Amino acid sequence: MSRACAAAGRGSACRRDGAVPVVALVGAPNVGKSTLFNALTGARGRVGNWPGTTVHVARGTWRPDGGAPVELLDLPGTRSLVPHSPDEALTRSLLLAPDGAERPDLVVVTADAANLAGSLCLIAEVLGTGVPCAVALTMTDVAAARGTTVDAGALAALLGVPVVPVLPRRRRGLAGLGDAVGRALADGGTLPQDLPDVPAYAPDGDDDGEAGIARAEARYAWAHEVLAQVRTRQGAFRPTLSDRADRVLTSGRFGGPLFLAVMWLVFTATTTVAKPLQDGLAALFAGPVAGGAAAALGAVHAPAWLSGLVVDGLIAGVGQLLSFVPLMVVMFVLMAVLEDSGYMARAAFVVDRLMRWLGLPGRAFLPVVVGFGCNVPALSAVRVLGDRRQRMLVGMIIPYVSCSARLTVYVLLASIFFGSAAGTVVFALYVLSVLLVIGVGMLLRRTLFRELRGEALVLELPPYRLPAVRVVGAQTWQRLVAFLRTAGGVVVAAVTAVWLCSAVPLGAAPGTEFGAAPAGHSVLGAASRAVAPAFSPAGFGDWHAAAALGTGFVAKEAVVSTLAQTYGADDAGRPRELGAELRATFDRASGGHPLPAVLAFLVFVLAYTPCMTTIAAQWQEIGPRMTLTATGLQLAVAWLLSVAVFRIGSLWW
Amino acid sequence: MTLHDCAPGVRVRLGRLRLPGPDRLRLSGLGFLPGHEVLVIGRGAAGGLVVALGDARYAVDADTARGIRVTAVVDSHV
Repeated sequence: MSRACAAAGRGSACRRDGAVPVVALVGAPNVGKSTLFNALTGARGRVGNWPGTTVHVARGTWRPDGGAPVELLDLPGTRSLVPHSPDEALTRSLLLAPDGAERPDLVVVTADAANLAGSLCLIAEVLGTGVPCAVALTMTDVAAARGTTVDAGALAALLGVPVVPVLPRRRRGLAGLGDAVGRALADGGTLPQDLPDVPAYAPDGDDDGEAGIARAEARYAWAHEVLAQVRTRQGAFRPTLSDRADRVLTSGRFGGPLFLAVMWLVFTATTTVAKPLQDGLAALFAGPVAGGAAAALGAVHAPAWLSGLVVDGLIAGVGQLLSFVPLMVVMFVLMAVLEDSGYMARAAFVVDRLMRWLGLPGRAFLPVVVGFGCNVPALSAVRVLGDRRQRMLVGMIIPYVSCSARLTVYVLLASIFFGSAAGTVVFALYVLSVLLVIGVGMLLRRTLFRELRGEALVLELPPYRLPAVRVVGAQTWQRLVAFLRTAGGVVVAAVTAVWLCSAVPLGAAPGTEFGAAPAGHSVLGAASRAVAPAFSPAGFGDWHAAAALGTGFVAKEAVVSTLAQTYGADDAGRPRELGAELRATFDRASGGHPLPAVLAFLVFVLAYTPCMTTIAAQWQEIGPRMTLTATGLQLAVAWLLSVAVFRIGSLWW
Repeated sequence: MTLHDCAPGVRVRLGRLRLPGPDRLRLSGLGFLPGHEVLVIGRGAAGGLVVALGDARYAVDADTARGIRVTAVVDSHV
């Protein structure tokens, strides 16, 4: 029996007799761990939150030596089992699980041949946990380009565990790794006879203070002893091409302008490139698909309620969800390209000071910039932040970034009420959006996120390289599937629910059929009338406005169409003139102060929940509790601000 | 002298880290330990530095670089 199994109190076949063995990939960020995972699983892994956490873990099936399958886990990137973030803590807690129930049967540590000292320290820590281990030696091509070679055989002999060179981007060495892992599992796990005498971690979790630093010193001293025996170098150290590029690309003179240019490209791609595709898909569902379904249902004399449910509920919901797919694909491709090329880390360094001034971590720039296009991919972009609490903080403030869907509401109302000053009003709303991001960010840091201190920026810069199509494609696909799985049900259910509310007659003339009542005489109309008084302090306590805000909860694109729908047709059957109706409504609801009332309405539209898909994306990234907290906070901020705007504005107008 | 005072191209040996406890621990874990050598590669907009520590490259912000004591190395390898 292996020492690991004995230590964990397992049988000779390790735990879960007859169950699929679990193999976990552990390694630092940017050393090819996830690329190796995708190469081994054929990119068919599923990304999801680890049970009870919001830490992302990918799982997949792998047949190490072409035989029995194992479950492969891609654990979050970590340089050490001394955790500095909840993501890193998950790896530690799994490897040190007291009852062994969650322990993997084997750990494959991805070790960076181009920066072996740090990887050796992690290997020492993993060996110290007693979990059987193998080493996948990655980045040997980068090391070779620097004139460095690592003797894998000598390293295996020193460590007492299999060491297999792999190049996952080129799918090299995978069979050798599979054979080694298959053999190790068949043996019940490989552990060296003589564990390196390295103080790995404090078993009680007390790694702080001088003792923790002394342990780090001992680990590095051991690592350098190993390095001296396994690594050979040709020639003296010389700056690499990446070093020379960094002297320019991160410098004071060029770093900022290049960053702005890259962000402009990201913003342009997520708006102008993806937008026509998004509009096209939305039009496809609203037009041919909905029309075809309605015609087909009509042909079989389906009842009105069924036709409405399918066309206005399910098809509209699926259409709204799928219309986000082009945006998400563009966003995920850009994220993968920025990460895989090595530029993401440089960009975080360039804007670190500015973001700190805003009270946010350096890497938060990407979600914020993207948020101005659409909040949904922006929320997915919070994954670039390594720390779970930072992801939560940024995930809670992204909805205050004014997305392009809100712009349609701003433009319509501002042009009706403010004429030539409409542009100024829209600009002021964008300024307010930035102020809200900063203000709410500061509020959250002083309340829910007090423990998030401004920590030292020490960021590893991977060498620049051309992004691999296979890597970018696999990451994009996994992220897209995870998004659709989480958001799908929520969005379709919400759209169907809104349709149902507008279709059920309430207070309409006797005999009015389901789905045929005017908006004012439906459940939506009745609910809007009930809610409207809550907006009276803000000057727009009118059911038309309340109904628009209600459907705007599902999608901001619906605000304008609902406003038009609630006014319906006049007695002669002609559509009413929306501008005149809106002016009359706001004039009446505000007691003669329509301009501050419209401003208050616009501020409410800016600050409250952007759309149902945003909530679904938040749910996936920051968990249900924080999503509900964030939604409540947005409603409170939106209401308070709009009341303040109306009260102060009505003193002048 | 601190790391922040060093110009690009200068090679230095690390001394004590005068940083808050958690930062000190984190940097130690990355190999920023007394006696280890770093080469300054470049300097960023807000005074931060890009340095080579062993085979790795790190971006270090200005405040952190001010908390890292260093001594100049005349002739050694990184």
